[in-house]
Amino acid sequence: MYAFHDVHKRYGLRTVALRRLSFEIRKGEFFVLYGPAGAGKSTVLNLLAGITRPTSGDITRAGQSIVHLPPERRNAAMAFENYALYSHLSVAENLAFPLRARGMAKAEIDKRVHQIAEVLGISHVLERRPGFLSGGQRQRVALGRAIIRPADIYLLDEPIGHLDAKLRHRMRAELKALAQEMEATVVFTTTSSKEALALGDRVAILNQGRLEQVGTPAEIYHRPANTFVAGFVGDPPMSLLPVTAEVGGGQSILRNQDGHEVCRVPAQLAGHRDLRMGIRSNSIRLTAPDTQRALPGRVAVIEHLGHSNIVVVSVAGVEVSVSVPTTVPLKPGEPVGLSIEPTGIHLFEDEKALATGGA
Amino acid sequence: MARITARNLVKRYGAFQAVHGINFDIEDGEFVAILGPSGCGKSSTMRMIAGLESISDGEILFDGRRVNEIRPRDRNVAMSFENYALYTPITVYENIAFPLRAAGVNKADIDRKVRDIAAKMELTPLLEQMPASLSSGQAQRVSLARALVREPSVFLLDEPISHLDTRQRYRMRRFIKSIHQEFGHTMIYVTHDQEEALALADRVMVMSNGEIQQLDTPQQVYTRPANVFVAGFVGEPPINFFDFTSETDGEITIEGNRITVPESLRPHLGRIGKRGTAAVRPHFMELGETSPIRLKGRGFITEELQDHNEIFVDVGETRVSLVTPPDKHVARGEEVTISINPDHLLLFPPRQQKEENFDVV
Repeated sequence: MYAFHDVHKRYGLRTVALRRLSFEIRKGEFFVLYGPAGAGKSTVLNLLAGITRPTSGDITRAGQSIVHLPPERRNAAMAFENYALYSHLSVAENLAFPLRARGMAKAEIDKRVHQIAEVLGISHVLERRPGFLSGGQRQRVALGRAIIRPADIYLLDEPIGHLDAKLRHRMRAELKALAQEMEATVVFTTTSSKEALALGDRVAILNQGRLEQVGTPAEIYHRPANTFVAGFVGDPPMSLLPVTAEVGGGQSILRNQDGHEVCRVPAQLAGHRDLRMGIRSNSIRLTAPDTQRALPGRVAVIEHLGHSNIVVVSVAGVEVSVSVPTTVPLKPGEPVGLSIEPTGIHLFEDEKALATGGA
Repeated sequence: MARITARNLVKRYGAFQAVHGINFDIEDGEFVAILGPSGCGKSSTMRMIAGLESISDGEILFDGRRVNEIRPRDRNVAMSFENYALYTPITVYENIAFPLRAAGVNKADIDRKVRDIAAKMELTPLLEQMPASLSSGQAQRVSLARALVREPSVFLLDEPISHLDTRQRYRMRRFIKSIHQEFGHTMIYVTHDQEEALALADRVMVMSNGEIQQLDTPQQVYTRPANVFVAGFVGEPPINFFDFTSETDGEITIEGNRITVPESLRPHLGRIGKRGTAAVRPHFMELGETSPIRLKGRGFITEELQDHNEIFVDVGETRVSLVTPPDKHVARGEEVTISINPDHLLLFPPRQQKEENFDVV
């Protein structure tokens, strides 16, 4: 088990890469670091690999500090986004390299190389050198070289980010299955919500060097800790509406900026300020504009996904995404009503989740 | 506003032919996405429309008038690129005003037009800032405003948001769509991202190897792809392909599963013959025996994406994925039956190569 204790990382005087991070990575878990560009994801990997050291705070493995251990004594296998392959060696030799360095027998090396090449779909390019591969193939070789050998921890920096959609989809499943088989501890960075949810046993959401939330995919999806997570997880992410609460009869009526009723929740929300309501596109139904209690809005944009459409409805200047079947005829500018399921809502006060909100 | 027509449009670079005599009509005010992998000819096509590349053969017409010989700046075309190249020493206001000043518009009109477009594009608070202080999303909006302020008849966008992160891309995508709704320009949007193309466009022009594979609505391109290339390039998660053989009329065999082909597909199957490729989107298959078209397989992995699951199943040698409600699970090795929605079974002639990889980078 690895743990970050209040880890702070600064580059130079000005640039803060990580702000007092504390979390743990459990043995055998697939741990995803998810965040936008510049969030600090790669910095976390570099700290685990020993390529950089924290400015302050401690990193431990099984309770022992590893901050002063050089990279070669950490038994971490790393795949970089920019590949870093040996250009004078063939793909097979690149893959075999970490095994040779450990003095493994040739027959065993051959077996492993072919096994991993099969999984990654690069068996047909084993004799080529990296210069003669496509970007996607190079990325798979880099990934293969990292996962071919036993290691305490595998650090994968957007290892499938450069692959085309089809391959990325297939590799995602392969990677998850492989990690389960190997019972490997994996730290995987991504900017894709889908990859984070599909792969992670747990997901850490980073934003500008801050840890916004750590949790299982179900937790970050169904119980986002704050509005950043709510607006960042899911495809599409939650829509967020500023609301005010009016208390009466054991329940609260939520109203939007125009004073329209959004929905009623069975909780006393008196005294809360700066409230926002989060709602997912599949917890809203479109109704006729004059339906009783429906929130009035206007169709702003219709996005086609193929199997369904996302209708972006403008409600008092706020954009709300609603998932609808492709068979529903709608036009931009058309007035509509929104019917919101109270069980599907999430409440945030001053950006942070309120315990009363949501199912 | 303009209608754009291409007739037998060809682009050659020396001995290499990038665009092979394509034909299309883009209606006045239409939003068309040109979608394809790198090297498919989409950017060459757009650059010929803009006048940035010469036309090797054939012609381009704006409202029926040939523009081959007309210089780019006289075509009244605006362009926005991934690289938005704002002028760094001058303010946002001056950046937007730049094309108007260059065209000799008088000062009062410039001011009115700049403020008008800034208001529409939510840039009013940023007008006095310098480009260096903007976020990439803001800089992109300024670049779009600068392109639009001249009131062009055609607006061309070349991968304008591919460098933004997911959240910004969502936002910009919607913004671009709303610009189209607000201004009503004929818009042509070049992208390699199928999701963007489907989401934005009235019609999608799918290109590969310098040819148009299909030009149709997002719905048609998704549910009725013209060929294996379009089927494989469009859709998320990616479509499932199977090799099939057909020994008996109206029947096909996929990985040992015998399937009676729906009546409506039989003439098509007759033309394909004894071997071909079947395709089904992950959204149009489900677990259980809910349709007469079934495949037997073994579970590989279940991905929980919270609002739905994606389940990978090995059908013989073919690994397929299906999208299911979040309560469905399949264990590794578990025997399952998959049912295919008969309306969404697609049959094509045999694929050229089994593995078609379109590396993005």
